[in-house]
Amino acid sequence: MASLSGLTDQQAKEFHEQFKTTYTAFVGLAALAHLFVIAANPWW
Amino acid sequence: MSNVAKPRNPEDDWKIWLVVNPATWLMPIFYALLVLAIAVHAVVFSVGLGWQ
Repeated sequence: MASLSGLTDQQAKEFHEQFKTTYTAFVGLAALAHLFVIAANPWW
Repeated sequence: MSNVAKPRNPEDDWKIWLVVNPATWLMPIFYALLVLAIAVHAVVFSVGLGWQ
């Protein structure tokens, strides 16, 4: 039974793994940037 | 409609890609993220929390 997006379960799971990896890297970089701002100019 | 199976997250998170095709929507998602990031920076700078 084709999915709404046309992806198979296997393709969706495979893409999601990469999506999680990339998103984790994005959050890590954002956290690092926030630490630099806190070190330089805390906003509280 | 009420007997639709409820997802269990995060283990069912991957099923979003059975509905949203990333070949079509990944870049729009990234552009929306960029617009959001620019908006947040604009607010932070406008309230004076940017570097002066």
